[in-house]
Amino acid sequence: MRHRVAGALLALLCLPGAAAAGGFAVRSGTDPETGLRWWRWQAAGVSVYLAQRLPDQTRAFFLARGFDRASADRVAAACVLQLEIRNLDAHVVEADLRRWRSIGPDGARSLLLRERWEAEWRAAGLPRAQRIAFRWALFPSRVRYGPGDYNWGMIVLGRPPGARVDLALRLAVDGRPLAPVVPDVECAPDVERLR
Amino acid sequence: MPTRALALILCLLPVAALAAGPALTRGLTPVEPRVPAPDFQLADLDGKRLRLSELRGKAVILNFWATWCPPCRKEMPSMERAWRGIRERGEPIVLIAVNVGEDADTVFGFTARMDLSFPILLDERSEVADRYRRLTGIGTMALPTTFVIDPQRRVAYRAVGGREWDDPALLDPVRALLGGTAPPKAARAAARD
Repeated sequence: MRHRVAGALLALLCLPGAAAAGGFAVRSGTDPETGLRWWRWQAAGVSVYLAQRLPDQTRAFFLARGFDRASADRVAAACVLQLEIRNLDAHVVEADLRRWRSIGPDGARSLLLRERWEAEWRAAGLPRAQRIAFRWALFPSRVRYGPGDYNWGMIVLGRPPGARVDLALRLAVDGRPLAPVVPDVECAPDVERLR
Repeated sequence: MPTRALALILCLLPVAALAAGPALTRGLTPVEPRVPAPDFQLADLDGKRLRLSELRGKAVILNFWATWCPPCRKEMPSMERAWRGIRERGEPIVLIAVNVGEDADTVFGFTARMDLSFPILLDERSEVADRYRRLTGIGTMALPTTFVIDPQRRVAYRAVGGREWDDPALLDPVRALLGGTAPPKAARAAARD
């Protein structure tokens, strides 16, 4: 009997750990200093961290890099998140953002990646210096990490400020595909437009 | 009972790992087979030009960065400590930081506050960074990314993301390149530490 009780207690204690190791552990919270929301999915030796960026913050970033107001507004209003992917283990980790989708009430949408923006900026005649700054600020469309590698950059969901979506990720660890979903990711509201 | 205690510890490990957050990054990834490092010539903040091919016979730590990139800024102090140690020991290792896409005024405004003594070169048109980006296999690179080049001017290692560059786990594989043959197994072991 004592053994059975101890076993049941052990099973209960193990539940959070098992959920974390099972591949779909998502934590979320709010930065106490900025009030911005964040989400972290971590499993299989990979961590994916997402954080809201205020449209104003993004607008200021690109204005400071010489963007004209209309171009900076265009990006700022398209739901920009900060993304960090980190290889926590001795694996090869790959992420293919071309296959990531934001899923909202109107269905699934691809991210607006570097290549798409490059075409748009070229068509709009954005100067080369600004296009270079933009390209490096955005997260690469595909990455492959060795042990200890990580990246940091912006992703653009192409959703309006305040939109709520599930974000479907596509990763691979040592060639094994992973397809976690980060639920209820919220685009930051556009504070400037609320004033 | 010891078995049960062990099981308990093992099942709580993922919880502890989640609570602790990402660990400090240490590894270098071997580039196998080694590929020729693209030659380049870039100017530093004083207009003095440096050509990679003039450094043949030395190991080169070639870092790509930008002032707006937080992990880039974070690793700079450790790069400075590593550089000072290298110079004190008189090691044939050169550490170069190539700023990508920014002008001299922007870069100077940043480096003046940091008191950095290693060479900082300007790649304002991103041409050198783009050539090295193509070496990454799937054609992508983000900032910071660092390549380690052996004395024969071949890319021996790469590191994506910031590192603590004065960590022996990173510098020892670089020093080993000076002996003529690289120890990829040692570097992999360091990466797993």
